[in-house]
Amino acid sequence: MSAELATMIASADLLVTCGPGGVGKTTTAAALGIAAAQAGRKVVVVTVDPARRLADALGIDVDAHMFDPHEVEGAGANGGSLWALMLDAETVFDRMITDRAGDAAKAQKILDNPVYRSIAGSLAGAQDYMAVERLHQLHTSGDYDLVIIDTPPSRDAIDLLEAPDRLVRFLGHPIYRALTLPSRSFAKVTNAGTSAFLWIVRKLAGPKLVEDTIEFFRSLSGMEQGLRQRAGEAAVLLRARTTSFILVSSPRAEAVSESLHLANAILDGGFRLDGVVVNLVHPMPAPLVGLDDVAPGPLADQVAYHRELTALAESERAEMTELLHLADGVAVAEVPLLEVDIHDVAGLTRLAAIIVS
Amino acid sequence: MTGSWVGDAHVVVAAGKGGVGSSTAAAALALIAARDGASVLIVSVDGRPGLGPLLGGQPLDSVDRVLRTIGKGASQGVIRGRTIPPQMAFADYLQLKGINSVLRKAASAASLDAIAAATPGLEHLLVLGKIKELERERSADLIIVDAPPAGHAAAFLRSAAALREVVSNGPVRTQADEIAEMLADRTRCQAMLVTVAEETPVNELVELAYDIEEELGLALAPIVINGCWPDRGGLALTPTAAAKQQSVKLSAANRAALQASAEFGRVRLDIQRHQLARLDEKLALPRITLPRLTTARLGPAELEIIADALAVEPTPAAQR
Repeated sequence: MSAELATMIASADLLVTCGPGGVGKTTTAAALGIAAAQAGRKVVVVTVDPARRLADALGIDVDAHMFDPHEVEGAGANGGSLWALMLDAETVFDRMITDRAGDAAKAQKILDNPVYRSIAGSLAGAQDYMAVERLHQLHTSGDYDLVIIDTPPSRDAIDLLEAPDRLVRFLGHPIYRALTLPSRSFAKVTNAGTSAFLWIVRKLAGPKLVEDTIEFFRSLSGMEQGLRQRAGEAAVLLRARTTSFILVSSPRAEAVSESLHLANAILDGGFRLDGVVVNLVHPMPAPLVGLDDVAPGPLADQVAYHRELTALAESERAEMTELLHLADGVAVAEVPLLEVDIHDVAGLTRLAAIIVS
Repeated sequence: MTGSWVGDAHVVVAAGKGGVGSSTAAAALALIAARDGASVLIVSVDGRPGLGPLLGGQPLDSVDRVLRTIGKGASQGVIRGRTIPPQMAFADYLQLKGINSVLRKAASAASLDAIAAATPGLEHLLVLGKIKELERERSADLIIVDAPPAGHAAAFLRSAAALREVVSNGPVRTQADEIAEMLADRTRCQAMLVTVAEETPVNELVELAYDIEEELGLALAPIVINGCWPDRGGLALTPTAAAKQQSVKLSAANRAALQASAEFGRVRLDIQRHQLARLDEKLALPRITLPRLTTARLGPAELEIIADALAVEPTPAAQR
């Protein structure tokens, strides 16, 4: 069944993994990367917040604030190679400001602004937008055959998919527009909503923050056009024929329901959902015949465990049915609960074999 | 109160890595407090509606509603539930600060995005501020906060501290100070951290525990370890040896079936023991283990079982 996943990995330009938290999404993205690298492709996996051991497996230093991917040793075969990058929203944001500000002095002024500093990492959706931005850069650089992006966990939204649109909306917000008008002081800003906004910010947080805010928005003006254009390009790229979304889930009811919601959002948004990977599935043991009343003792322990495992495995299979039959042409893979946390390339290679075999 | 570790705390924040069941533990805690006759308010920070049905009521929304009552008369326990959308917390806050309705209308909802962008962590702060108000009013004997998943939990709880670095005066600063004060007061507020006995969740729990205890002075309740298999000694034997000990004859098919499941069970138990030992090494706190249920879907009946397990006295670190 997962021959289709193998084909996708061999032909796609861009893979986006998405799904709820705690289902092994990042590990799956890395394993897909290994599978492609071993099929001879040059692959980069971009992750957002890898667990420590997985970061170690990929040779990622989570505190390094890297901008460029590095090669994962010993992961490729047949001329392919695997590269990894942990996305640092602040670093990408800084780079974007530097590239677009026009001159170094103007860029530095923005980078030093306290409002900018505090929003670069925390602006709602900044991380999602920066993921899209970086993915676009890596894709268009032509340096890689395949870009795999692991999205931040999402409970019920398609934050990443909406990020470009949201940024454009934010930039088009009347307050933002009014603030970027060339006037000398905010006393001249006549828009009622905007003066209310500034009045409230000042009342709540003090005049210094108001000055910094105005300054920040003003310094962004002129960059808006570029940001809008990039957001538009990213939206097109995410819907391209060679871009595939892969939904990663677990068989637990909450995860399945979040995943189904996400699947609908992906399909409704005009994106291509091409794969579903269900991780953490308990194995279904072969049935027992008889052995109904075993006296307490070691055999009773074994029988009791067998029954519990069977009940859990059956319940999981019932929950995941809908996920495995989402739509025609969606490749599915079921991945059993593994004995160990993956902490090296060998573990990822093993997982890759399970997903695409 | 059952779960005596809750003590006099008015607010318990439940947090853990995504998928480990911290919302379930939050709901179970609500249930045991209500069984003891307490009035409980459960608040879902990221608006997860499913907590309502799990507790036998309607899906949660921003309206404070009774989900369930337990018992009758003076000792009746009540569980209420709600979400706190930041927009609503914002409007409430402006009203509280005496900002008049015309300005409020001009400034609220539509501009929260922009205001929040200019004031980092403001949305979290507004929600925490609303919780603080509910605590101050003693809106319930116990307020249980279902925090966002791990990475975000730290950001959520730290929002007040972070804002204090940027804003030096004004009402927002006062708000941040009051929230920090509530979080650091162990007689008012505790954090119930939840994990499963697996490597990455344990690592993230330890990290979160140090973050919130050291940075915020937030008191840690016993650690809750969800999804534990019962420790069955008989799994250590081969099915043949186990059957022989009990003088039972096994068919080849039964032997093979047991062999496979016992092997899997042994591996899972080894991981569980190993990870619990690691957690002990890193975090010497009392703990409570919750059973692994044999279903992938939790409903009110399963919640009763989990609540029973959560109601036992925690095992102190010294006795393990």
